[in-house]
Amino acid sequence: MDPSGRWNLHVRDEERLLAEAAEYRGESLWQDAWRRLKRDRTAFWSMIFLAVFVALSLFAPLLPLPSPIALDLKAEPQPPVWTELGNRGFDYTFETDDDYKLAYWDLYWHDKRLVDVRKAVFGDWQTGRWFGTDSKGRDLLSRIVWGSRTSIWVAFAATLCSLVIGVTYGAFSGLIGGRVDNLMMRIVDVLYSIPFIFVVIFILTFLSEPRQDLETESLVDKGWVFFIVIGAIYWLTMARVVRGQVLSLKNSEFIEAARAVGASTARILFVHVVPNVLSVVIVYLTLTIPAIMLFEAFLSFLGLGIEPPKVSWGLLAVDGTDAINPIRTFWWLVVFPAGAMGSTLLALNFLGDGLRDALDPKLRGKH
Amino acid sequence: MNRAWKGPLLRQAVALLLFAGLLAGLVGVAGSARLERADFVFNNTGEVQSLDPATVTGVPEGRILRGIYEGLCVKDPVTVRPLPGSAASWTKSPDGRVFVFDMRDEARWSNGDPVTAHDFEFSFRRFLLPETAAEYSYLLWKVVNAQAFCTGKDADGTEREVDWSEVGIKALDADTLRIELEDPVPYFLELMAFYPLFPVHRASLEAAQREFPDTWNVEWLKPERLVCNGPYVVEERRINDRIRLRKNPMYWDAKNVALDTIDALPIEHWGTSVNMYLTGEVDWLDGSIPPNLVPELLKRQDFIPKPYLGSYFYRVNVTKPPLDDKRIRKALSLVIPRRAIVENVTKAGQAPTWSVVPWKELDPENPPLEGEAAAEEARRLFAEAGYGPGGKPFPVIEVLYNTSETHRDVAEVIADAWQRELGVDMRLKNQEWKVYLDSQTNLEYEVCRAAWIGDWVDPGPLNFLSLFVTGGANNKTGWGNAEYDRLIAEIGLEQDPAKLEQLMLDAEAILLEEYPVLPIYSYVTQNLIKPRFGGLHGNMLNEHFPKFWYWMDDEELAEKLADLPPDLQEVPPGGPSGGKYAPVGRARQIGRN
Repeated sequence: MDPSGRWNLHVRDEERLLAEAAEYRGESLWQDAWRRLKRDRTAFWSMIFLAVFVALSLFAPLLPLPSPIALDLKAEPQPPVWTELGNRGFDYTFETDDDYKLAYWDLYWHDKRLVDVRKAVFGDWQTGRWFGTDSKGRDLLSRIVWGSRTSIWVAFAATLCSLVIGVTYGAFSGLIGGRVDNLMMRIVDVLYSIPFIFVVIFILTFLSEPRQDLETESLVDKGWVFFIVIGAIYWLTMARVVRGQVLSLKNSEFIEAARAVGASTARILFVHVVPNVLSVVIVYLTLTIPAIMLFEAFLSFLGLGIEPPKVSWGLLAVDGTDAINPIRTFWWLVVFPAGAMGSTLLALNFLGDGLRDALDPKLRGKH
Repeated sequence: MNRAWKGPLLRQAVALLLFAGLLAGLVGVAGSARLERADFVFNNTGEVQSLDPATVTGVPEGRILRGIYEGLCVKDPVTVRPLPGSAASWTKSPDGRVFVFDMRDEARWSNGDPVTAHDFEFSFRRFLLPETAAEYSYLLWKVVNAQAFCTGKDADGTEREVDWSEVGIKALDADTLRIELEDPVPYFLELMAFYPLFPVHRASLEAAQREFPDTWNVEWLKPERLVCNGPYVVEERRINDRIRLRKNPMYWDAKNVALDTIDALPIEHWGTSVNMYLTGEVDWLDGSIPPNLVPELLKRQDFIPKPYLGSYFYRVNVTKPPLDDKRIRKALSLVIPRRAIVENVTKAGQAPTWSVVPWKELDPENPPLEGEAAAEEARRLFAEAGYGPGGKPFPVIEVLYNTSETHRDVAEVIADAWQRELGVDMRLKNQEWKVYLDSQTNLEYEVCRAAWIGDWVDPGPLNFLSLFVTGGANNKTGWGNAEYDRLIAEIGLEQDPAKLEQLMLDAEAILLEEYPVLPIYSYVTQNLIKPRFGGLHGNMLNEHFPKFWYWMDDEELAEKLADLPPDLQEVPPGGPSGGKYAPVGRARQIGRN
């Protein structure tokens, strides 16, 4: 700066700066996070593992697995066989809707189409007894994969439910503050005080009132009740966590700037606040999913969850507990379902850890 | 130096003392919360519904009630024939209609009151009163005027108000009870040893009713208030933990009662229950054994199943269409894979049955349809009723069972067969025992797993046939048939064994035609019991009276084991090695009455 107080900038410098600026490519939060996530080996592989698992459960009808419900009664569960890759035992034909119920249960239409594709591609071929069978001769591998559908989807749907309610509620409460905040948080406190296992049991029992007329009335699908009830209850902690974050954010400069240019509360909420609490939300989510999976397992264990012949990891766990005893242990009934559940939960935790680091805005640009 | 040390030393001492006090307190609390192991521990497989003998029907309740009450008779541990209990003796009129019981003079309630004929009159009256709502009340309907007293109607349906004084149960004096029957009942004395007909203590019941007008039916059964007349009293009752029974010093035959304490655990989970047996925490499991283990257990000395007068079946709620159509019910029954269930699910030697009467020999000339033939017949019946291919879609059926893995396993096998053979979609629904009982009673089910265990041995089939009389408390299907009711009534009148047999066959034939229940298999007793334990035999009713129980010493144990097949695997005998006999000494306990 020269003594006259004016910038003495040469035209050449100006051009150089502009060119530099044009070359400089901004990096969004997501790109940055993705880059850092890829660098975190454990988290990255956990993510791949989970993606494969979710894909497996999503496309379970496509896989050449034996029927998860076909009984093959023997006096005892059969141990795994690793010498036989597969056999031509899947001799079902799928013409009418009832045919699907023989090999599976009441499937949704898209699953039926997937089953058709499987039948067209693999024909009668199905995998061998890789994981052994359970006490009624049903293939354990198939049951684990089909069971993952219940468990994973209960977890995801319920988590999504808690995400939407919890984040909106918490962010709104924190942002508005004052009396509204106070009232909204007291409501959460009240809901917290209700022992929610009783609520779930109560609702499920209430919904399974006896039918008066068998022909017309349809039975309530307990799976959906699960999604809703569990989701509706798990949002409480989420709301609190989010509110806490918002309280610390709402006086920061960028929020004030947004307010100064006249942004609406909703816009501030969803465009400026929510992305900044994401790191906390995601960490909490990765902890919620395992909790919900375990809860589903627990309810199924109590006989309040998924009803046979449908299967979930919880039911497999029930069968597994029978297999542990001092006289005779059917180890495969314990090891494989527990392994599937354990590795999924572990992967979720690793991924959550990695995501937290990757998404933390305070760590942006650092390597 | 002394002065310098005094302060801190004192302080340290105080701190140490306080800490020691805290520890002692903790140990004390932990110690008092944990009961010492009883002389004998068994798994009662569930929390009992109540300890009121008049209102319960379950097997777990029976196991406890036989310990804490004593009816006019008890049953021989081997033959299950009646022996004198609270009554020292009795006379029976030549026509078999009038019983006069002579009460045992030395019989006492646990508070010292004598057990009198009046107590029994009071208890039987209470048992029959409509407001008691005893499900078993029909057991006494053969007593003169008892049915009218209980239901306001005679057996033929005419309405009639009856006063208690007209009912054929009379305490002539404190020592003599006279019971007059309308018709001779061959199993009447056996009934007197049956737990619903155990007496209750009038004074304590009425005191509780005065003190707790609303909750007396819970209060009077609390251990501190309950007065009973059996060999044991309830010392402690912890919900979902245990019922602790302690020897009743006032019991008239206390000198012949061997065990001081008995614990009944309410463990529902079968895996846990077997683990507890194998680690020695439990000495006796009655059933509640995971079927996966049965093939292994059958090789052991402590598991010897025997035929059991019990029947496993599915009740059908015939009030709900389309289950009101007997063709549908028959078709559902036809395709039940009974052999597959007993061989691969229950596995302990149960016998498939096509009749609700268990252990029924099959007619070799006319065997029941099985396999493909049965499935074809079932599909034909379904088509006839308008369902199946080309007909209406059959609604989803819900099958109710009480929470237990075997029931689930059986239901899954049946669901699979119904789906495969008839295209019937079935859903499983499980409920906790009490809720399940209520759902059955209120007909809040569609198809429901059920079982019945005989209450007397002779005539055995009548146990099961008498359940299904129109409106009977244990019918629970909504089914009724006038001809059937008539036959059951006639069975009561019949004295001639051959004719009796024929009448029972006729009644059974109606059940086999109408299928209000779908029979599945006949029970075997599944007592997993420490070999050293004595006085508990696998009898036909699997009814065991705790007064006969004891532990054998090594000598008697060796004798017992020598009688077993030699290829059985040896197991730890359990119990104290010197045995535990009744205070009078090691008199042979069996058959000493």
